[in-house]
Amino acid sequence: MVQYRTQVKIIADVLVTARDMNTEGAGVGVTALVRKANMSYTRMSKLLSELVGSGLLLELDGEKISKYMISEKGKQFLVAYSSFQDFAQSFGLRL
Amino acid sequence: MVLQADLAAVEEVLQFIGVFVSFSIAFVAYKGVRQTDSSSLLRLALAFVFLGLGFLVESMVGLRQVIPYLSTTAATVVVGGLLLETTGYFFLAFSHVVDVMLSKRAGAALLVFPVITLSGLQLSNILSILSFYFVMYGVVETVYSYARTRKPDTLLIAVGLSMIGLGTFFQWLSLVYQYVGVLSLLQIILQEMGLLMLFTPVLRFAVGGVKVDGAV
Repeated sequence: MVQYRTQVKIIADVLVTARDMNTEGAGVGVTALVRKANMSYTRMSKLLSELVGSGLLLELDGEKISKYMISEKGKQFLVAYSSFQDFAQSFGLRL
Repeated sequence: MVLQADLAAVEEVLQFIGVFVSFSIAFVAYKGVRQTDSSSLLRLALAFVFLGLGFLVESMVGLRQVIPYLSTTAATVVVGGLLLETTGYFFLAFSHVVDVMLSKRAGAALLVFPVITLSGLQLSNILSILSFYFVMYGVVETVYSYARTRKPDTLLIAVGLSMIGLGTFFQWLSLVYQYVGVLSLLQIILQEMGLLMLFTPVLRFAVGGVKVDGAV
């Protein structure tokens, strides 16, 4: 059976990608995020502006394109996500 | 007579344990909703709020010796409690229906099946059987989830839900055979044991010291 990702799972995937791929501290480009999170560019752009708006991601202005890195609030979200995912899974549910 | 009074007192205490456990699970799930905005956790929180309210209302029946007014409205209170309880079990089953993305087929089954099989029964009986049906649906989905994740907690929840399901079945029996007093006690014992098993993830949460403050 096909397992669709929930919105929360998609957000967590994007945040994990932004955290893990930001090895040099210069942020991660949209293309890399699109590829890793397996989403369309349009959908990703919309999601990124929402995540920046809610303070989960930080937008770094580059020379040509914007780059993104996870904020402290985003890291806290991932901690909460991980623990509540465990809780939901106990009840046989997905976050 | 004395034995019956003792049984009623035990039932009363067990009902309040049920209220505590239900609201504790609802509280942790609600914390999760605030932090992750998850709709699965919202349905779980709603389920246990309704269950807790149901147990609370049902426990009022036992207070009719203290509050005389409740004697005249006992039947209404029982139906009200059962209605809340059934709504809770519905949300529990509904979480799984949405989760497995079978909302059309399973949702229709949830609505049609009880109507076909239960016509002509009294409202309390219908609510008890509906609860049984919803819980058993939850058991099947939880076992299915365990088969995928192999998480011991999930198996424990499945066993807990099975006991609650068996409890609701005894609840229905106790409504049909009202002269067998022990059925009602059996029902509450099974339901409470089941609820205590559901309490395990909450305990793990508390013991693990997971940070649950600060909304995202």
